[in-house]
Amino acid sequence: MTNSILALCRHAPYGTTFAREGLEAVLACAAMDQIPEVLFINDGVYQLLAQNPQAIAEKSLYRNLQALPMFGVERIYICQRSATERGLALSQLQLTGADVQLLEDPGSLIRRFDQVLSF
Amino acid sequence: MTLHIVNQSPHAGSALRDCLNAFAEGDALLLIEDGVYAAQEKAPLELPENDVFVLSADAEARGIAIAPDLTAIDDLRWVTLCVEHTPIVSWFR
Amino acid sequence: MEQTATLVIEGREIPLDKEGFLRNLDDWSPEVASAIAAQEKIELTHDHWEVIRLLQAFYREFELSPAMRPLVKYIGLHLGPEKGRSIFLMQLFPPSPAKIGSKIAGLPKPTNCL
Repeated sequence: MTNSILALCRHAPYGTTFAREGLEAVLACAAMDQIPEVLFINDGVYQLLAQNPQAIAEKSLYRNLQALPMFGVERIYICQRSATERGLALSQLQLTGADVQLLEDPGSLIRRFDQVLSF
Repeated sequence: MTLHIVNQSPHAGSALRDCLNAFAEGDALLLIEDGVYAAQEKAPLELPENDVFVLSADAEARGIAIAPDLTAIDDLRWVTLCVEHTPIVSWFR
Repeated sequence: MEQTATLVIEGREIPLDKEGFLRNLDDWSPEVASAIAAQEKIELTHDHWEVIRLLQAFYREFELSPAMRPLVKYIGLHLGPEKGRSIFLMQLFPPSPAKIGSKIAGLPKPTNCL
């Protein structure tokens, strides 16, 4: 039996290293054929807002995230409430090639998984 | 059912609030380390009615009196909680 | 200890890391690619160049070097299912297409290349 894995991405992209660690963990899981699903929640929704971090000499986490479907990670969730609280519309939070779903009730998604990794 | 674990003071950051926003009915909440500051009677956030656990050693260490409607537990009970729940979600920071 | 491996292309010294990846990605040119390929005992054909250009496009698009799975998928997306297969890529860039291909294309080493 394989474990179902959810990565919970809760932090904004550049202020801490959590967001990048989350991405790396997700890619590592995918490379080992343990494809996780990903929930962007709280400040984590900012990870999906288009970015230009060249200005602070960082690699673009946004661009990196766009590669998730290429790595087989195609089920992506966004917490509706988190986006709304931050004045973000779904149209601003895009992940091309993924099946992105807005969630009203993140709790009922979370409990479907065997493992939850928080970042 | 999910076990949510929070280790941050409700006055310092958003971990507990974020956790409660992702809480489903029947889930359990465990407050550890600085998370126990949310276990006082006049804590800033309203906690779920049932299944809120507080690590008593962390509360005692910080001089926090645990509100009577919450359940104080020891390390052994914590292990049992982890075994009884899937998944376990850490809300650290 | 500092590694001193270099390629010499048209009289210019190009520094490599200990695994043969370019130290400075700006040093890449088709001549450099052919020289790195030669070190891997690979002679670059049309098929190789197609994949090299797509590896570079992948890197521009995602700022990441692809692992095997995404490379196969990306090649399939752009060159069709016949070429989007690991066997095709294995023949071009043995024994580890994502790693060897990235090296020749002048990309950083893929981080999730297990």
